[in-house]
Amino acid sequence: MISVQNLSKVYKLSAKKMKELKTSEGRKIAVSGVSFEARPGEIYGLLGPNGAGKTTTLRCIATLLKPTEGSVSVNGFDTVGEGEKVRGAIAFLTNEINLDPHFTPSYLFHFFGQLHGMTEEEIARRREELFTIFDIGGFADKKISELSTGMKQKAAIAVTLVHDPQVVIFDEPTSGLDILTARTVLDYLRELRDKGKTVVVSTHIMSEAEKLCDRIGILIGGKKVAEGTLQELLAETGTDDLEDAFFRLYKEYGEA
Amino acid sequence: MRNILLVLKKELYRVFSDKKLIISLFILPAVLMFGLYGLIGMLERNMSEDIETHVPVTYIVNATDGLKAAAAAAGFAQNASIDYLSEEAFLTMEGRLTEDLREGFADLIVVLDADFEDVFSAYQGQGDKIPGIQILFNSAENYSQQAYAVFSGVLETYRMMLLQERLGNLEQIVVFEQKDTEIVKEAKANSRFIATMFPYMIMIMLFSGAMSISVDAFAGEKERGTLASMLIAPVKRTDIAAGKVIALAIIAALSSVVYAVSMILAMTMMGNAMGGEGGFGGVSFSAGQILELGLMLIVVDYLFVAVIAVLSSVSKDVKSASTLVTPVYMVVLACALMTMFSGGAKNSLTRYAIPLYGNALALQDICTGELSAAGFLVSFGVTALLAAALTALLARIFDSDKLMFNA
Repeated sequence: MISVQNLSKVYKLSAKKMKELKTSEGRKIAVSGVSFEARPGEIYGLLGPNGAGKTTTLRCIATLLKPTEGSVSVNGFDTVGEGEKVRGAIAFLTNEINLDPHFTPSYLFHFFGQLHGMTEEEIARRREELFTIFDIGGFADKKISELSTGMKQKAAIAVTLVHDPQVVIFDEPTSGLDILTARTVLDYLRELRDKGKTVVVSTHIMSEAEKLCDRIGILIGGKKVAEGTLQELLAETGTDDLEDAFFRLYKEYGEA
Repeated sequence: MRNILLVLKKELYRVFSDKKLIISLFILPAVLMFGLYGLIGMLERNMSEDIETHVPVTYIVNATDGLKAAAAAAGFAQNASIDYLSEEAFLTMEGRLTEDLREGFADLIVVLDADFEDVFSAYQGQGDKIPGIQILFNSAENYSQQAYAVFSGVLETYRMMLLQERLGNLEQIVVFEQKDTEIVKEAKANSRFIATMFPYMIMIMLFSGAMSISVDAFAGEKERGTLASMLIAPVKRTDIAAGKVIALAIIAALSSVVYAVSMILAMTMMGNAMGGEGGFGGVSFSAGQILELGLMLIVVDYLFVAVIAVLSSVSKDVKSASTLVTPVYMVVLACALMTMFSGGAKNSLTRYAIPLYGNALALQDICTGELSAAGFLVSFGVTALLAAALTALLARIFDSDKLMFNA
């Protein structure tokens, strides 16, 4: 269970950054007053264009960033005060976090299993399970630096899930993947949902969100502008599909 | 503690499972040291042999029979190519001979006054004219310098011959006998060379060893996004910081041990090749000295890695980390260099408390056996405290979203 309450994240801008962004304001509001809950047994999708605040929100949940205002809790643990417990309960995957290219998927899987306090038997069992699902056996003992993008992504997913976490947070889970691997990942996320896990994904691919997510929160300009099931969003915007719903909302809030 | 060990093991595995890193950190330095010093020794020996076997091209103008006899007695005449010239002949060739000397075709020109023997014989006492000998040589040419040095011995022989002739009995000019007796602390005398060189060499090697792996292990990992994968594990940030720093300190220490041992062996080899000059012969350390040396090197090594780790972690990428670390390298270099020119005065405890400089001083005094227990404790303690504070700071940096994710 993830609970995000009135989350705001403001970045202070350096003089160099201000020049880059051509702004005279010394700060940038990445997320403003966002609240939502993701429950066990559902896939919650954060949908929004680039720069909407999706990744920042997910990073706050994963304890990598501290909220400027508001609070985030995972399974009842506060992300600021109980970071270690939160990190023990989640799997967080994002394109900006990579596996060390000097190691093999096997080594890293075992290493992170140990960091999560797992026994050798538990690690071996999970390895068998995840390496089979993601078809990693063929390159398990090759260095990450020698793998293709798809192989790296599969290895990263397996390593991230080593400890069978209750909460799974994937930022753009199919980004850079071929169609077959993307399908495997999405199917596995559904399987996790069916097992009662809390799954949060961020995406800007409308079709993916439509098929995958039980509930969707739409972020525009760092604010949550709508939330609900696909049917609720379509009804609220008076549209026939998610893409039209998104553009309707973007016209209303994004150009404001 | 368990997590520190896990992180430490991972970092060690990273290096020891990479053939390229093993070669660049442990094998190449040894090969380079032996190759470099071996080559220097060989070239130096060849040069010495060449100079010694060279036949000096010498011109002696107005040579007296006495000088010829002295040149023969000193062994110079037998090994040199000597042209004896008259004053007239020399005057016609003076320009060419001087040019030859300048260009290295001639090695020595000795010009005696034309009336050398007459003036010598006519000398009666104070105020009378003294005969002169002018020597022309080229200090930029090794052959000429060597010829000049050897011919100085010839002139000394000649001087004694003339004095004998004038005074009859040379004992008249001996007014006292000088006896030199050396009183030295043997250990200090033997370790003087190593005490001068060691702190400088080892501090530089430790720091450059630490720099070669630590910048990438922090700034590089941050840049590649691999450090973040550790930060989302349920591990205390202090455990990650300590594990990484200890592992890198071990690797840097091993690398510098390879450097140091190779350097000592290679320099000894070079010293032997050069005829026993310099080197580490005769140096022996007590068990206490070895223990002090080991502990001091460990704590200094850890401090270096911690400093580099902090600077690398606050940097955005490897390039800016290197820019930040380079000035610290210069400071280490300066501190180590300062110990090479220290006087004989005893060091105060305050000096040992100065980070880096105090460590270099302590290392030097350990080598000479002059470091007091208090001096050791001050230097070791201050360094250990500073290293621990930097590790804590590193953990804070790992916890800072602004520094780790530019947020």
